Amino acid sequence: MEEQKHRRGRGHRHSGAVLSIDYYAYASAIRRWNPYFKAAFSMACLVLCLAYDSLAVSAAVILAMAWVTVCLGGLPCRRYLPLLSIPFVFMLLGSAAIAFGVSLHPAGQYRLRLGFFYLYSSRESLLQGLHLMLKALGAVSAMYMLTLSTPASEIIQVLRAVHVPKVIVELMSLIYRYIFILMDTQGRMKKAASARLGYCDYRTALSTFGRTASNLLVVSLKKGDAYYQALASRCYSGELRFLTEQKPVRAAQVVLAAGFLVLLTILWRLTG
Amino acid sequence: MIKMNPILQARDLRYSYGEKRMALNGVSMDIAQGEKIAVLGSNGAGKSTFFLHLNGVLSPDSGEIRFRDTAITRKTVNELRRHVSIVFQNADDQIIASTVREEVSFGPVNLKLPRDEVAARVEEALDYMNLSAFRDRPPHYLSGGEKKRVSIADVIAMRPELILFDEPTASLDPLNAELLEQVLDRLSAGGKTILLSTHDVDFAYRWAERLVVFHDGRIIADGDPLRVFQDRAVIRQASLKRPMLLDIYEGLAAKGLSTGAAYPRSVQALLGGLPNIG
Repeated sequence: MEEQKHRRGRGHRHSGAVLSIDYYAYASAIRRWNPYFKAAFSMACLVLCLAYDSLAVSAAVILAMAWVTVCLGGLPCRRYLPLLSIPFVFMLLGSAAIAFGVSLHPAGQYRLRLGFFYLYSSRESLLQGLHLMLKALGAVSAMYMLTLSTPASEIIQVLRAVHVPKVIVELMSLIYRYIFILMDTQGRMKKAASARLGYCDYRTALSTFGRTASNLLVVSLKKGDAYYQALASRCYSGELRFLTEQKPVRAAQVVLAAGFLVLLTILWRLTG
Repeated sequence: MIKMNPILQARDLRYSYGEKRMALNGVSMDIAQGEKIAVLGSNGAGKSTFFLHLNGVLSPDSGEIRFRDTAITRKTVNELRRHVSIVFQNADDQIIASTVREEVSFGPVNLKLPRDEVAARVEEALDYMNLSAFRDRPPHYLSGGEKKRVSIADVIAMRPELILFDEPTASLDPLNAELLEQVLDRLSAGGKTILLSTHDVDFAYRWAERLVVFHDGRIIADGDPLRVFQDRAVIRQASLKRPMLLDIYEGLAAKGLSTGAAYPRSVQALLGGLPNIG
């Protein structure tokens, strides 16, 4: 319902993964949480997940992050899982390379003869592959928890607070803002071009795309001037500064987060 | 025309964008406190360039800008920008922050105000433009009319004395254009001086107390809207159209339906002055 309301409220619809992540962060129920707290918690989970290197810890992180994002943040499972599936495919391929080996001679605990070579594996290497995969998935879940609940402006605010160089932080915020304008402009050019049969076949589409891209560059250069004038008119003096909202950290959140980190440590002691 | 204490004066401004043609070719104008001025003129006549000078974004090749009897130089240009704000034609060219609240705070933060003061001004400006519900929304999830309102809240938060609107009604739907007129009226009632450029002659005739016509980088007419619109030479030279209300009124008068009342500024006033028949 909330989502529908917002969707109706915006001027035009965008598509693409970047935009959907941006939108989920904006719509998340835990957007109200303090961004520093979320960033610290997500980083702590990520570091512990990597450092403890234990199946139980990784699994706990994956489940906990999914719980926070889906149950507390209100992101539907059918949106969360596809997002997770993108890195999952990479991890699956990477772990498979570790879990399985190829040899011309019979080797390993388990093997499968495929013509003139063998695909082999062992209990340890299978376990190692699983280990690696869960560890990576845990780390990605921890990052997702942050990015799916924190709008880009707040992530930038956290980066500024941890003294990432000003030029990078300001570029990030400008790029974030203008990416949408650029996509909008490109979308309009594309529509106008396809209305004139610019995408009627593959060859034409390629050449139209090239023209659109070069036109986009020219438009960007022109727009740059307009943006600078608008900045200057509001007393811009070389530094982009905004009022940032201060969101309180609740004691319950800190206790829960600390408790979870302790739980991870206990899990590690018990299983490691 | 005698003007009481002009707050902003432009003296013989000349400016070119590096081409042969002068974008401004000797423009002089006095703006007094509380005036409602509409600037008309075809595209490329120099309206936007003039506005950018009044706010100090561009500095003239020759001529000067005076704000409250202080000549504006490179050193005092921020003083000018503090008191004179522009609402740009295209809101997307103006909005730079990633949430509405941050966006509106940009001006006040640049004024080096204390945090609480900035927060209070932002809330006030959002409330003024009826944007409080959009506070945390990223600008790319706003409609065109909402973006326009954000770009106006941007300057209201800076509390300028004079607000320049560059073609504010362009690309607004009728409802949003009407809301904009209400905002303009409220700003005037609040003592702000307003200068706006437009192509909408009916709107200019209805709203403005003073009309300035630009043509080829010069001011070719400056005065009472009715006088200017009655000057056919000016209308022809600047490729303007006369307001429909004016044509209808004069047409009715020519057919003997005049009521003797002064030239009406609104449809209601025109109808109110007509006699009932039958």
